[in-house]
Amino acid sequence: MITISHLSKTYHNPDGSTPQVLRDVNCVINPGEVISIIGPSGTGKSTLLRALNLLDLPTGGSIFYDGEDILRKGYPVHKLRQKMGMVFQSFNLFDHMTVLENVIYAPCKIHKENPDKAREEGMALLRKVGMAEKADVYPASLSGGQKQRVAIARCLAMKPEVILFDEPTSALDPTMVGEVLSIIRQLAKEGMTMLIVTHEMKFARDVSTRIFFMYDGVIYEDGTPQQIFESPVHSATKAFVQRIRKEVFQVNGPDFDVLGMCTSISRFCIKYNITDKRETVDRLCDIMLDDIMASYRPMTVRITFSELSGETALDFMVEGMNASPLDSVQKEKLGALCGKIVEEPTDRGFRIKLLLQ
Amino acid sequence: MIIRYFRFFAVIAAIMLGSCSSEKKDSLSIQSEADLAGLRVALTAGSCYDLDLSAREDIMLNRFNNAPDGLQALLNDKVDVLVDDETVFNAVIRKEHGIKIACKGDKSFPTAFMFGKDHEDLAKACTATQKRMEADGSMLQSKDFWLKDKYIEAESLPFIPGVTEGTPIKVATACSTAPISFMVENQWYGIEVDILRQLAKDLNRPLEIKLYDISSAIMSLESGLVDIVMGGVFVTEERQQQFLFAEPYHAFRSAYYVVDHEAGKQHAGLWAELKNSFRKNLIVEKRWKYITGGLWETVKISVCAILLGSVLGLGLFGLMRSRRKWMRSVATAYNWFIAGIPQLVLLLILFYVVLAKSGFSPTMVAIITFALFFASSASDIYATSLDAIPHGQTEAGLALGFTRLQTFFNIVFPQAVRRGIPLFQGQCVSLLKGTSIVGYIAIQDLTRAGDIIRSRTFDALVPLLVVTVIYFILSWIIGLLLKLALPKKHVI
Repeated sequence: MITISHLSKTYHNPDGSTPQVLRDVNCVINPGEVISIIGPSGTGKSTLLRALNLLDLPTGGSIFYDGEDILRKGYPVHKLRQKMGMVFQSFNLFDHMTVLENVIYAPCKIHKENPDKAREEGMALLRKVGMAEKADVYPASLSGGQKQRVAIARCLAMKPEVILFDEPTSALDPTMVGEVLSIIRQLAKEGMTMLIVTHEMKFARDVSTRIFFMYDGVIYEDGTPQQIFESPVHSATKAFVQRIRKEVFQVNGPDFDVLGMCTSISRFCIKYNITDKRETVDRLCDIMLDDIMASYRPMTVRITFSELSGETALDFMVEGMNASPLDSVQKEKLGALCGKIVEEPTDRGFRIKLLLQ
Repeated sequence: MIIRYFRFFAVIAAIMLGSCSSEKKDSLSIQSEADLAGLRVALTAGSCYDLDLSAREDIMLNRFNNAPDGLQALLNDKVDVLVDDETVFNAVIRKEHGIKIACKGDKSFPTAFMFGKDHEDLAKACTATQKRMEADGSMLQSKDFWLKDKYIEAESLPFIPGVTEGTPIKVATACSTAPISFMVENQWYGIEVDILRQLAKDLNRPLEIKLYDISSAIMSLESGLVDIVMGGVFVTEERQQQFLFAEPYHAFRSAYYVVDHEAGKQHAGLWAELKNSFRKNLIVEKRWKYITGGLWETVKISVCAILLGSVLGLGLFGLMRSRRKWMRSVATAYNWFIAGIPQLVLLLILFYVVLAKSGFSPTMVAIITFALFFASSASDIYATSLDAIPHGQTEAGLALGFTRLQTFFNIVFPQAVRRGIPLFQGQCVSLLKGTSIVGYIAIQDLTRAGDIIRSRTFDALVPLLVVTVIYFILSWIIGLLLKLALPKKHVI
C-alpha cells in the first residue's frame, strides 16, 4: 500500500542550523496493518508521519502509495490527503464551526455530498465516537478528550483508507486518554489501516500488529509487539521499552573527581526513588575504583535504572581490554553486595556489570 | 435608550440656560486702543489686528481661527473684547447676539487682492478694473450697498453674470462672512466678489472661488494652485515681498466689540429659541444644503479611502510577508513613515507639493492621503487577524484534502474575518472622523459645512450639534455595514 525507501528530511531553520530529523527510513505498509511508532523524543516519529501526507516535504528518498510516486512533480497532493486522514495532537478542530459542521464540512465541500445526507452520516459518526449529544455545540466548550473524539469523527467522515495519528493522547490529561484510545481500538478491530505515533506503551502493545521503534532518524527496529517489547534486538530499543535511565561518568586518570561522581550518583538515586540502594552503590564504586580496578584507566562508569523492571545496575567498562580483571576472591567480595555479576567483552573493551537486587 | 437621549438633551438645555442667565452688569467701556491694556482680547490669527497688537505686552491676546469662534469666546466671557473689522458683525447680528461696538479703532488697514509673483498681468488687470469701477461709480455703489449694511434688508443680492467657458480665474477666499465674501445657497456674494466678477467679465474668463483658511490660501497661492487670494487680505510689507497686490480697494477700520449688557437679550423661551436656531441655521437660505453637500463629500472621501486603502493594505501586507528582505524593509519603512507623520501634514504636503501639479482634485488628494494612512492600519489588521489563526487550522484543512487555496478561503479566512472586523470597524470610524481636516484643502466636507453655516449665523450650538449627530450616525452605519460583512454563522 505504502512503500517508503531511503526517506530523509533535513530542516533548514532560520537560525542557520540544519538538523537532519529523518536519515534513512525504509518500510512497507500493508492494508489492515496497525502500526505504532514509538521511540524517544526528537527521533523523527512525527516527522515521518507528516512526511507521509506531505505536510512536511521530505528532502530525499521516495514514497509510493498504491504504486504511485507521490513525490513526483505535479502529483495531486490534496487527492492523496483525502485518502489519508490525520488526527493531530492538538485536535485542530475548526473553532468557527459546530461539532457536526466540523465533521461534515470537508465531505460537503470536497466530495460535494448532499448536506442532508452528510448530516445523517455525520450524526452516525458522532454516535460512533459518543459525541452525538454535542453535535450543535462549538468546540470551545468541549474537553480535550471530546475534541479528539470529534477530530477522529471528522477524519472518518472523509472515508480514508489510512489514518495517521500524531500523538493523539499527548495533549490530554490522564483521565481522558482512555476514551480516545478505546475509539482507536475500535477502529483497529474494524480493520482500518493506521499509523499511530504514541507514548502509550501498553496501548501500542495491545492494539498494534506491528511496532516501529524509531531512533536517530531511522526505523531502528521493526517487529511485532512481542518482539519489540519482550525480546528487542538492539540495546537502544531495550533501553526505551524498559524505560532505562542512565548516568555516565568518564574516569580518565588519578585526578578524577570521585566525590563529585558520588554526589551525582546520590542525586540519580533520589531522582528515581532508589535511595535504599544508594549505600550499596557507593560501596561498590569505592571497591571498584579504589581497590579492584584502581590501575585500570581510562574507564567508563555507568549507572542504569529501568523504570519498568526496577532493575538497577552499575557498569564498569575498561577500554581496550579483552579479559576480565576479576579473580574469584574479588568476585566473592562483590557478590556479597550485589545480586549478579556479568562479565562480557564488547567491541570497545571489557565490561563488568553489577546488577543490584 | 430613552433615558440616555433624555440625558443628552438635558445637558444641551443646561448649556443653553447657562448661556442665557448672566447677571446684570455694565458693559465694558473702551474709548481708544490704549484702553485695551490689561484686557483679554480676541482676534483672528494672522489678521492685521494680530500683527498690529502682538507687540503690545499689556494685552492678553487670544488668537482664533475665525470671527465666529472669537464671537463665541466673547459671549462666553472667555475674553473681554473682540477686535475685528467694523463690518464683520452687522447691526442685526450684533443685536441678535447681544454685542455692541464699544468704539472704533484709530487705524485703518488697506485691503487688496493678492496675486502670485508670476501673475503680474492679472494684478494689473485687477487694478484696471477697480479704476474703471471707481470711474463709472459702480465701486461707490458697491461699497454703499455692502459696507453700509444695506445688504441686510435687500430683497436680492447683486449678481454679475460672467462667462462659463475658458480658463477659470482660481480664487482662494479666506473669508466666508458678509460683507466681504460669503455664500448664499452655494453662490458667492460680497464686495470683493463683486469686484472679481467685474474683473472676470473684463477678462472674459469664468471665476472659480473656493474657501480656504488664510494659511492654506497662501500656500495654495505659493504653489500656483490658485491665482488670487482674497477675503479681506491686508497689505503688509512682508506679504509684499512675496506676493503682488492690486491697488487696495478699501481701507477697513477696526472695531472693538464687547458684550452689550444694557440691551439685554430677548429670551423667547428655550424651546422657541432652539426652534428659531434650527430655522436660522438650517432652513434660511437653504443652509441644510451645505450639510447634505458636506455629508456627500465626507462619505465619498471616507468610502473611497477605505476601499483604496484596503487594497493598498493588501499589497503592503504582501510586502510585509515577502521572502525578500528588501521588500520587508520597504513595508517597515512605509509603516514607520506613516506612523510618524500627522494626517494634516501629509495632506498638505501631498496637496501643495507632491501632487500640486498633478491636476488631481482636492477630493482625490484627500482620498489618496487617507488611503495611504488606511493602508498601513489595514495591513496591520490583516497581519494581526491572520496570525491569530493557529497554523493547526491550516494543517487540519490540508490534511482533510483541501487545496492550499481552499484551505485559506474556507477555513482560515472566515475565522480571520471574525477577528479582523472589530479592528477594521475602529479604523474606519477613526478615518471617518479624521476626514474632518480636509477643509484645509478647500473641500467643503461635513465639518467645513458646519463652519460655513457658523460664519453666516455666528451660532455655535446648532451647526456643531447637527454635524456631531451626523458623524455619530455615520459611525453607526459603518458598524452596521461591517456586521453584514461578517461571514454567516453556519457554514453548511
